[in-house]
Amino acid sequence: MRDRIIEILSGVRADVDFEKETELVSGNILESFDIVDIVAELDDEFDIEIGPKELKAENFDSVEAIEALVERLMGDE
Amino acid sequence: MHSFNKNVLSWLEESASKYAGRTAYEDENESISFAELEEEAKRIASAIIKAELPDMPIAVMMGRSVHTIAAFLGVVYSGRAYAPIEAKDPLSRRDKILANLKNPPLITEDESGSLNFAELLKSPIDEDALEKVRRQMTENDPLYIIYTSGSSGNPKGVISSHRSLMAYIKAYSEVMDINETDVLASQSQLDYIAAIRDIYLPLLTGAKTFLLPKEYFMQPDVLFDSMNRHGVTAAGWSSSAVTVLTKLGAFKEGSLKGFKKLCFSGSVMPGKVLALWQENLPDCKFVNQYGPTEATASCTYYEIGHRVSEDEILPVGRAYDNYRVFLLTEDDKKVPDGEMGEICVAGPCVALGYYNDKERTEKAFVQNPLNSAYRDIIYKTGDIGRFREDGLLEFHGRSDRQIKHMGHRVELDEIEAAAMEIEGVSECAALYDTERENIWLLYTGNAGARDISVKLRNMIPLFMLPRKLKQIEELAKLPNGKTDIKRLEKDTFGGK
Repeated sequence: MRDRIIEILSGVRADVDFEKETELVSGNILESFDIVDIVAELDDEFDIEIGPKELKAENFDSVEAIEALVERLMGDE
Repeated sequence: MHSFNKNVLSWLEESASKYAGRTAYEDENESISFAELEEEAKRIASAIIKAELPDMPIAVMMGRSVHTIAAFLGVVYSGRAYAPIEAKDPLSRRDKILANLKNPPLITEDESGSLNFAELLKSPIDEDALEKVRRQMTENDPLYIIYTSGSSGNPKGVISSHRSLMAYIKAYSEVMDINETDVLASQSQLDYIAAIRDIYLPLLTGAKTFLLPKEYFMQPDVLFDSMNRHGVTAAGWSSSAVTVLTKLGAFKEGSLKGFKKLCFSGSVMPGKVLALWQENLPDCKFVNQYGPTEATASCTYYEIGHRVSEDEILPVGRAYDNYRVFLLTEDDKKVPDGEMGEICVAGPCVALGYYNDKERTEKAFVQNPLNSAYRDIIYKTGDIGRFREDGLLEFHGRSDRQIKHMGHRVELDEIEAAAMEIEGVSECAALYDTERENIWLLYTGNAGARDISVKLRNMIPLFMLPRKLKQIEELAKLPNGKTDIKRLEKDTFGGK
């Protein structure tokens, strides 16, 4: 799953080293437009629905955080 | 001190005497009252005057904080114009801006600039020196220099006078009905034109501005909570910020309390997005604004007095008070009623020109071709418009390759100029997919997409960065040898 997430993230923002960054949102690395694309692609790929409640910096600051969010939402069903 | 009612400093002083202890600006960490703002600005100015710096603009590169605005006003008190610079912009862009300003004094919070903010603040206030400077000032003096995208790859510094700014803020505050009870939520970066409303409305009206952290705009519930906590009543945001919040599920669970006035601008607002906001905020006033930096942020406004439908395209409306907006044909003639033409602006809102750039100034700020009797400078926007029968102006796109992306003006030529400097890029074309709001870069050569993306990030600001890169065999050409943009758009994302 991690590789697939990194693939999605890199498809949206080729210039960011996602393996390394831990402040993607709180460090203003991602733009709001990136989040729109990332959310749409994660929703499609993993058949989940990321709602406004989940849109918090701590859920998107790193690949690990995004992976945890996706796993949690997949488990909810 | 004398009362000089000719510039923004008199607004500040009137508000400081009327609302002394009330908050003028706040961010998530700090707030500053009108009286403190006047004091900080005067200390900074006194230090600048004492240092006997050359008579030139002063650049300010500080964070998103209430003190940054105090630094701007301090520069103004010293009799100079300020040039706000975004610290996060790539170095090469910053260098181009500083070079255009002829390497001016630079105020920063750390040691990187020639003037340290904290040191300036230690200066005592020298009222005599301030008054001496003030007596020399006129309302036509430059107030700020704000940089926008330029097609050659060099940003253009738009210089606006006190007079221009005051004409706009007065007209806007009347249309939006802003008064001392309002709390404004600021979305714009402080170096960007849209921020002038958030900075100057408090000085004129006694309202308060709350500087929202940028990252809140990708977290709609966090944003709404924060706005409710700060008692926000009004905002002027980019259409694109409003659209993103909507795409991310604003109003699904969160709500806004006490929010009454929203002005949006920067690009065309999708009817679908506005309809949702109207549904959730039935008593809120919504205003569509249109206009370029060169006409002090705006030209026209349209107050939406009905529930819009999902596919509705809003007009940009009528000219603000003290603005004159009209159309010219390609050969500078009057446009017959109901036909399309280039949107032109006249009046005190017209900027003084582009800083240190005679050539581009003379091209865009021209003598009104309909008037040969006296000096009458107008600004030609390069936008195409049409007046409806009811007198409202419609916006019909650009005559060149300038686009609006994320509320910012972007010259696609500037992106191409930057990409061509990268090794391994032979030819390239920047395209804009308006529907999906994506900038594309198609290129030939052996450079890797990631490599180009990383390098561009150090050359152009983030909002200009192509989000989709594609290596292709060759660029489609027109018979005249120019790139066939229409064909590339069609092949790449199905553009018309």
